[in-house]
Amino acid sequence: MEEHVPAVINLTYLWKKEREELGEKVIETIKGFGAEGIEYCMQCGACSSICPLATTGFEWYNRRLIKAIDFGIRDELFDDVTPWACVACNRCVEVCPRNVNPFEVMFAMRRLMIEELAVPMTAVQALKSLYDHGHAVYTTGREARKKVGLPEKPPTTDSDEKALEELRVLLRNTKLPELGLFPMS
Amino acid sequence: MKYGLFLGCNISFNRPDVEAAIRSVSPLLGVELDDLNGQSCCPTWGTVPSVDTIAWCAVGARNLALGEEKGIDLVTACNTCYSSLSEARYKMLNDAETMREVNEILKKIGKEYKGKSKCRHVAWVLYRDVGLDRIKKAAKYELDDIVIAVQPGCHFLWPSKVLPDREEDPFNPVVLRELCKVLGADVRPYTRMIDCCGAGALKSTNQEKSYKLAKMKLECIRKETDADLIVTTCSSCLIQLDEAQEMLRKRGEIDFSIPVLHYVQLLALCMGFDPERVAGICVTPRDEIISKIVESGRK
Ligand code: SF4
Ligand code: SF4
Repeated sequence: MEEHVPAVINLTYLWKKEREELGEKVIETIKGFGAEGIEYCMQCGACSSICPLATTGFEWYNRRLIKAIDFGIRDELFDDVTPWACVACNRCVEVCPRNVNPFEVMFAMRRLMIEELAVPMTAVQALKSLYDHGHAVYTTGREARKKVGLPEKPPTTDSDEKALEELRVLLRNTKLPELGLFPMS
Repeated sequence: MKYGLFLGCNISFNRPDVEAAIRSVSPLLGVELDDLNGQSCCPTWGTVPSVDTIAWCAVGARNLALGEEKGIDLVTACNTCYSSLSEARYKMLNDAETMREVNEILKKIGKEYKGKSKCRHVAWVLYRDVGLDRIKKAAKYELDDIVIAVQPGCHFLWPSKVLPDREEDPFNPVVLRELCKVLGADVRPYTRMIDCCGAGALKSTNQEKSYKLAKMKLECIRKETDADLIVTTCSSCLIQLDEAQEMLRKRGEIDFSIPVLHYVQLLALCMGFDPERVAGICVTPRDEIISKIVESGRK
């Protein structure tokens, strides 16, 4: 199986794969990950006309990703970083005339990729940091806070062990532990 | 007027001068702040929202519940926190099953979220709740002759349906411009005002593409407004336009320097607070613009 989208797409092969190998249409899988509106897309291109990913030359931005998923392409896209570059700006949601919510398609693709462990290290680190400290962005150096006259620790999980433990229990009761991205005990 | 101050990660650890600015200006504007002890990351996009909708909503709901328990809304100076919390709330309010599953999880830590408390953006609180008149009265310095280009930032605007406060036309936003104008500044529009700054996931995925967006915006600001100052409502835009600008200068890709401030920092400076505390962290130098505000702007 090639790990990129081939120049000529074999629709029969994809159709068979959905039926025989995956047991579900790729578009259904993506709907299950939160992109319920994907089938309303009419490929008008409004979303890509204002998408920062399209502007900067990422390959599989909103409209194109939707088409690929509609064709039944998924594994071939697991090497592509475009969904992970989505800034969640939601411009596409604002302009879409069909209520597709293209942002959710980008994020549904992330959720599928994470299940398949096709996930960038930066995302795993951010998740681990959220679990360890209650903050995705976290530094131990506190010069900046001291410099501006604030207490070293902000009034967050950072200064409240009980609250941090609460957050950890919460996270352990989500889908996160199933994925086994890092130890969560 | 009482709100829970929702800090978020960037402001807590990278730009605490923004936190100092909010804490400084609030009491003088009649705004009381609760610390919301035990708050966490909002959750930001690259964490649980990338894993699962229920997990996203649960972390958001825990933060929102900290305000709800006290009968107050949250206020933030970070666009990401604003939109992640607003979108999570929208999902919970519009889908009973999501709300039920989230509360199932919250029950395990003795919490509940009813959907009452929301997260407001500090710019909207200033604009709507405090009001332009009160801001004008509280300012000691006037920004005479200072030209500003604003950067509202994506998550201040879209998707408008999930946000608690909405611009009449999110593609032609006015709130931040009005907030700057009331301080006496000459606020000039530019073509790329609503373009993305290139921060966030785009930056962690591909730094060069991120700089490309920053450069497009900065060059447009330079050419169309010749601004003395860029003012934003978002901590990510603040960091990006400040740091990417320095990088582009170092590489010889741009030959100008425009200081960047968060609006609450600009307001704190105009109200006479110590610049070291309320605007002391940056890489694109601010000294000149701060002196200009303090020395020549006395009312
Ligand atoms: S704007 Fe909506 S309908 Fe048009 S291509 Fe994008 S997702 Fe499809
Ligand atoms: S939310 Fe993502 S896909 Fe939509 S316009 Fe923004 S960057 Fe593009």
